[in-house]
Amino acid sequence: MRSFKAIFKKQLKDTIKNPAILIQFIIFPIIAFVINHLVTNMYGVTEEALANMPNQVTMQAGIFAGMGLIMVPMGIIAEDMDKKSLRFLTMAGVKPMSYLLGISGVILVAALCSSLAFTVIGGFTGMDFWIFLAAMMSGVVASIVLGSTFGLLAGNQQAASALSFPAAVIIGFGPMIAQFSDDVARVMHVVYTQHFNVIADYLNFGVSDAPLWHSFAIMWGNVAVLLVLFALVFRRKGIVG
Amino acid sequence: MTSVSMKNVQKSFGKNHVLKGVSFETQESEIFGLLGPSGSGKTTIINILTKQLGVDDGECYVSVGSNEIGLMLEHDGLFARLSCADNLHVFREIYGMPRKNVDEVLKKVGLYEAKKTGADKLSKGMRQRLVIARAILHKPKILFLDEPTSALDPVTARGIYKLIHELRDGGSTIFLTTHNMEEATNLCDRVVMLHDGKIIEQGNPKEICERYNAIKTMHDLESVFIQLTGGGLK
Repeated sequence: MRSFKAIFKKQLKDTIKNPAILIQFIIFPIIAFVINHLVTNMYGVTEEALANMPNQVTMQAGIFAGMGLIMVPMGIIAEDMDKKSLRFLTMAGVKPMSYLLGISGVILVAALCSSLAFTVIGGFTGMDFWIFLAAMMSGVVASIVLGSTFGLLAGNQQAASALSFPAAVIIGFGPMIAQFSDDVARVMHVVYTQHFNVIADYLNFGVSDAPLWHSFAIMWGNVAVLLVLFALVFRRKGIVG
Repeated sequence: MTSVSMKNVQKSFGKNHVLKGVSFETQESEIFGLLGPSGSGKTTIINILTKQLGVDDGECYVSVGSNEIGLMLEHDGLFARLSCADNLHVFREIYGMPRKNVDEVLKKVGLYEAKKTGADKLSKGMRQRLVIARAILHKPKILFLDEPTSALDPVTARGIYKLIHELRDGGSTIFLTTHNMEEATNLCDRVVMLHDGKIIEQGNPKEICERYNAIKTMHDLESVFIQLTGGGLK
């Protein structure tokens, strides 16, 4: 618990002072706000047309949860491994799990703040507010686990960047590409970002092909599979670097 | 009492046989120097003793657990964006030490005035002192220092020597590596000379100099080393 608290505080201070990480939590809600504002105030757009448009906020929120947040834990872990800070922590007696939970805890709190911003900008209230927040946090948890796995695999910042970008683009933009290709849609059907979109579509248009719990189950199934993957990589590669 | 020991330790990296039957032991409350040129196996020995590396053969022993060891390694491992004090607070909290320890140790290494300065804004000498502060924060029984004064100006280096003597006098065992023979002569109670993965000489630095008559000219371990190996240190 002492180690977890120490890592959590360290990461909180570091995140506040690290623009490259901090921007990930700020930029997506800002983009969502700007685009939402522009679309809803577009000259000549009718109420009916607006109602049929996809919600820009959920689109940005999906990219944030599916893409931005993969890069955050990966960047943090790779930097700590690269600069050998992690070596000093583990040699001081910090258990790998305390380190990872401390790092993830800060990302989770920051992502919760961003998610709340998305819900406010998107105007979700009542039950929709909770459904949206639950979908966001499910995606966030999956992305943190995936990002941490990539962080362990990469081991240094350069390799982390090389790994992160294509993976984040595929997972983040996959649901959009799936709209134009049945083959991609079949693959994306088992990926958590696709089901974030399914839930978002339900919130936007009030319709869904399957019950919502089905999408939540797949998202948390993703989390379980990713945790197993993480454990395998962790056993093979360790964390010291 | 023995603090750290190695018995006939062998270590290879692929075809590179780095340690070829290294044996030595250090006693409590002494400054023990591991001397040798770059690539002689000094850092490998520290990595083995701090359990970052395993051995291929032989035995090694460290009398205390990892939370009673202080480390200053090749890489400083500082959190660049955190201040000096915050860097230390991370480890203070891990070790469960009171907050006042951070200020005390910062005063000891002469960094108290710079406690709010980011680690990335420090000069090389100040970073080195911060690393030493982190290493001694929890009052370790054994302190491993890998090249503690490399690339430091003489004034900063002297400050670090003073600190090392104080720590030894306080009961800690100091295990340091260096290729600076003058530093070893002035600082260490005992030294081991390492060359090509083998120990070629060990004992009190002044006694070694006397044994090889180097003392006739000056306290010069380097001339002993050259006499033994036919090569320089750098």
